[in-house]
Amino acid sequence: MTHGRHDTERTVFVPGLARVEGEGGLRVRVQDGAVSEVTLNIFEPPRFFEALLEGRRLDEAPDITARICGICPVAYQMSACRAMEDACGVTVGEPVAALRRLLYCGEWIQSHALHVYLLHAPDFLGCEDAVQLAAIDRAAVERGLDLKRTGNMVMKTVGGRAVHPVNVRVGGFYRAPDTDAVRALAEPLRRARQAALDTVVWVAGFEFPDVVGDYRFVALTHPDHYPIEDGAVALWSGEEMSPAAFADVAVEEHVARSTALHARLHGRDPYLTGPLARYALNATRLPEIARQAATAAGLGPTCDNPFRSIVVRAVELVFACDEALRLVLGYERFDPAAEVVTPRAGVGTGATEAPRGLLVHRYRVDADGTIASARIMPPTSQNQLTIEEDLRRVVEGGLTLTDEDLTWRCEQAVRNHDPCISCAAHFLHVTVDRS
Amino acid sequence: MSPSTGRDGPGGATTVSGGVVVVAMGNEYRRDDGAGAAALDGVRAGLGALGPIGARVVVTGPFTDPLDLLGEWDHADLAVVVDAVRTGTPPGTVTVLELGDDIGPEHVELVDGRPVSTHVMGVTAALRLARAVGRAPRRVVVVGIEGEDFGEGIGLAPAVEAGVAEAAARVLDIVGSSSRCA
Repeated sequence: MTHGRHDTERTVFVPGLARVEGEGGLRVRVQDGAVSEVTLNIFEPPRFFEALLEGRRLDEAPDITARICGICPVAYQMSACRAMEDACGVTVGEPVAALRRLLYCGEWIQSHALHVYLLHAPDFLGCEDAVQLAAIDRAAVERGLDLKRTGNMVMKTVGGRAVHPVNVRVGGFYRAPDTDAVRALAEPLRRARQAALDTVVWVAGFEFPDVVGDYRFVALTHPDHYPIEDGAVALWSGEEMSPAAFADVAVEEHVARSTALHARLHGRDPYLTGPLARYALNATRLPEIARQAATAAGLGPTCDNPFRSIVVRAVELVFACDEALRLVLGYERFDPAAEVVTPRAGVGTGATEAPRGLLVHRYRVDADGTIASARIMPPTSQNQLTIEEDLRRVVEGGLTLTDEDLTWRCEQAVRNHDPCISCAAHFLHVTVDRS
Repeated sequence: MSPSTGRDGPGGATTVSGGVVVVAMGNEYRRDDGAGAAALDGVRAGLGALGPIGARVVVTGPFTDPLDLLGEWDHADLAVVVDAVRTGTPPGTVTVLELGDDIGPEHVELVDGRPVSTHVMGVTAALRLARAVGRAPRRVVVVGIEGEDFGEGIGLAPAVEAGVAEAAARVLDIVGSSSRCA
């Protein structure tokens, strides 16, 4: 970390941003007391995978795209499957849909637990990392690790393994797990649900800066349940549209300073996906136990304070554990484990809610099932412009802070959004130029 | 020593209480970062020659997140982590490093090099966390294969490919030696 100061300039450099998935770069420029530039450079791998997918068979998409992210492989598999099924005119039946939702709950549990306890909570407790946090509150870290383990357990039981599940295929699964194996998850999930409730109480007691964002929320929505693996795309304006229509209006532009594509709605509006968006657009569809936890934690119908995203994420942990438990108790092994999918020429779009937000896949498929083109919109790249807006607000409100404190606040602002800059090649370098 | 293999419930992580676990780290879609995974085949093939000891070794991975080590290596007598590394040696060079009790934050770069996959934290940080919550293996040995190209793509550089067999042999030697010292 280096610092510099001139009469009208402030310069702060941070060589690496810790506790984000993967790597990236951040530069903030303050000139004559005003924020003149905020840029977040994210180096992301989906462009490589889009090219890799061309020429492959449509049934290879779930396994290949699962490698894009080691933290949320299920999200990539689910969005890929839904897109291919959309292209081929296939709708999966209720047993497959329920088992997919269970698998996805497992991923939400392990991802949210990881972020809350190991990436985000240290910010609020004055700790450099989770190791320091364990030194002052070992029980809390153990609770987070146990939650993560439960999520992994669900993923392994349903998906065959916790990392890059092997049981997922276009149309469903290669094999539905035995009834007893799934029902045996009930007790760990009951414990996890209690741990999740304890998590909400724990994080609700943190001190949060008084920051309010003016967010354009975008998330899936569903009339019957809190959305994960299906639904229409809802906007902050009240508008709803199909995933295919959304992919048409979410325009991505390449910015030279980053390998990521920046997304704007109608080529104009930055937007935000993820827990804050899901909560704002779907809070009434949370199960009672999660709604009560949210109310007790002081959350209203929406949450516009990005620092309090940790509370929303904890509420979603409660939801995911409770929903997984419901699905486990109602599970019966079924066969066949997948719908028949006959390739046909067409374009298919699939949108699901990764732990970090809306993940959209679009494929053009030839009549023989060969992938002709692929487009993947990860939540982090969709959120990039909004994260930059957040950073601008943070810096504008923190100009009286010392360089060290301002840099820390900037790092926190990025971590609020749990960015997944996976498989990137460089550490996140935070540079604040006050020139 | 009578190693035992335990499981953490249905489909749960492998908790190797008192046993030996060999775990690969790395992302096979980031070229030489897949070196650890490539070494596992040689390890599995060679365990038979170790007799009953080899039969009780748990081989797992590859993982891209060192946090996943927690749950895989809990309370093991020995955990051998096979991973691509950057130490400045020629590509394909095999480095063996035992992570002692004095591992601290400053050791991250020595063992992990530049992060090249979805590493929330490095192997050493994962070990420090495991020790902080009382779940660490008794011994952790890292077998590193020097990588050259960590860009996007599949397949190892020729020099790195050449180091995979030696890495597997070193793993087997470490596992075999640990049983003789028990």
